[in-house]
Amino acid sequence: MKDQNKTITRRDFLRGTTCATLAFAMGLYPEGKEVAELTPPKTRVVLIRNPAAIDAKGRVNGEVIQRMLDKAVTSLLDKKDPVEAWKLLVGPKDVVGIKSNVWSPLPTPKELEQAIKKRVMDVGIPEKKIDIDDRGVLHNRIFLNATALINARPLRTHGWSGVGGCLKNYIMFVSRPPQYHGNSCADLGALWNLPLVKGKTRLNVLVLLKPLFHGVGYHHFDPTYTWEYKGLLVGTDPVALDAVGLRIFEAKRLDYFGEERPLKPPAHHIVFADTKHKVGTSDLRRIELIKLGWKEGILI
Amino acid sequence: MAGLSLIRTFTAASLAATILTCATSEVHQETIDMRKLVPDQISGWKARDAAEVYDRQTIFDYIDGAGEIYLMYDFRKVMVFRLVKATEPTILLEIFDMGSPEDAYGIFSHAREGEEQGIGQGSEYRGGVLCFWKANFFVCITSERETPSSKKAVVDLARKIAENIPVSGAVPKLLDYLPEDGLLDKSVRYFHKHTSLNYHYFLSSENILGLGRHTEAVLARYEPGGRYLLLVRYQNEEEAKEALDGFFSAYIPEGKRSGAAQIDNGKWVAAKLEGALVVVVFDASTKADAQDLTKATQTKLSESSSRERTGL
Repeated sequence: MKDQNKTITRRDFLRGTTCATLAFAMGLYPEGKEVAELTPPKTRVVLIRNPAAIDAKGRVNGEVIQRMLDKAVTSLLDKKDPVEAWKLLVGPKDVVGIKSNVWSPLPTPKELEQAIKKRVMDVGIPEKKIDIDDRGVLHNRIFLNATALINARPLRTHGWSGVGGCLKNYIMFVSRPPQYHGNSCADLGALWNLPLVKGKTRLNVLVLLKPLFHGVGYHHFDPTYTWEYKGLLVGTDPVALDAVGLRIFEAKRLDYFGEERPLKPPAHHIVFADTKHKVGTSDLRRIELIKLGWKEGILI
Repeated sequence: MAGLSLIRTFTAASLAATILTCATSEVHQETIDMRKLVPDQISGWKARDAAEVYDRQTIFDYIDGAGEIYLMYDFRKVMVFRLVKATEPTILLEIFDMGSPEDAYGIFSHAREGEEQGIGQGSEYRGGVLCFWKANFFVCITSERETPSSKKAVVDLARKIAENIPVSGAVPKLLDYLPEDGLLDKSVRYFHKHTSLNYHYFLSSENILGLGRHTEAVLARYEPGGRYLLLVRYQNEEEAKEALDGFFSAYIPEGKRSGAAQIDNGKWVAAKLEGALVVVVFDASTKADAQDLTKATQTKLSESSSRERTGL
């Protein structure tokens, strides 16, 4: 991706001359290249998992989620107290929109929404200056006047963008989403430079409690391809969170299918968000991943 | 996804779907009223309200991003019915008019993974969704949640609709040219555009094979080794030759002379012109594997041409 106008072929990925993240997204494993080369980390991502996050009946445990979020945010910001950590993210004068996702088979858990809202209020922001919304954000007074956004949604495969993660969650900030469908949603990163959202996102939470790691076509959801990973990815860089999430998906798909099974279509919007739209870091070599909690089946 | 907004209420005038089917040398043209494909009731489920109709302009109001998948084909419109029954989950029925039997097959092949269910001209039941194609139509049926009775109703409804479609359509002719030996049936994808090729097998950010509405393409995998065979039919030989030259230049310039090249992962790529067709093999373990598949395709092409000449 040295030259944005250059034709990028499959061979470029195989040579390892372009982004390793995208190569993995396509199920291409460059010969002799290690993703985790020793380069200085630039952005921090926290992965926290807890086997009690979901109970035997599939219900999300709100108390556990609150603890996971607190531990992740304090680790992310090197603070001991969660409220002190949140004070680094938002201040009492902020108007805060919590951008969730309502896709019915796999919505943002209410328990997570409330855990975020609680900490935002703990900072001293009155409830009337906080709202949670997804599809109504363009008509929501809080979101239209927001000085801070918190982005929280589940990670899942998606029939037209490869995966739906942090980056894609801001599609509701435009009135005509099809404008961003070109080349399999390659330019979703541009959403993050829209005046309504640019520079406002203080925290991203990518939910991997029971993610969907495979699907085809528009009738995409199939519970067969979900698994209880019981994790949250937390960070300030949406591209880094999506890149790490994508890597977990690739590992899961390899484990489940027993062979390289590229995402269809490739989630190249994650790389373009970095290289073209400059809204974060997609290169795993430049991401410091802090892993907390339950390690069994962590896949990364 | 479903039911975000009602774009157009179903009207009798909007129901006509023109079907062109070819039977031997005779062309039949029939008009099918899509509403009449749906039975009045199935095991007590009845259509609630009027059907919703979405076309190429409004499809995104119904299924947002994934609407692009339909636009890669000659999609005309989709009619959405919601069937209800007291104490049972709602059944969602979608009937897509794909413009031609080839494209109805194409959209079915786009996502096919599951086992054949014996409904229509091709079907699968996956993740609680039953989809089939017949003639110009691609039909998907699902229940909000699955109960034993709703699952049975979904299958019965699919069978009834398939019966109500009075004609069958031809599968794409291009499929006849796929060698049978080693073919993984469910891997066959039929499409037209570069975006579809990249969806199934990322080749290049640019359209280096000159794919578009005017081209037909089929991609399939073969055992052993998981080789891919891509066949593209152009409007004429000149266009095919130009596309093949472009492919060699952009992807395997070192293979232009011999027609094959070993690429960076050690796998072989071979490409060949066959009249108005371009034949490409990807991911072959050896040069011989690649060339065997192109030769087998050549043989199939000769056999098909011979059959066409003799009218068999």
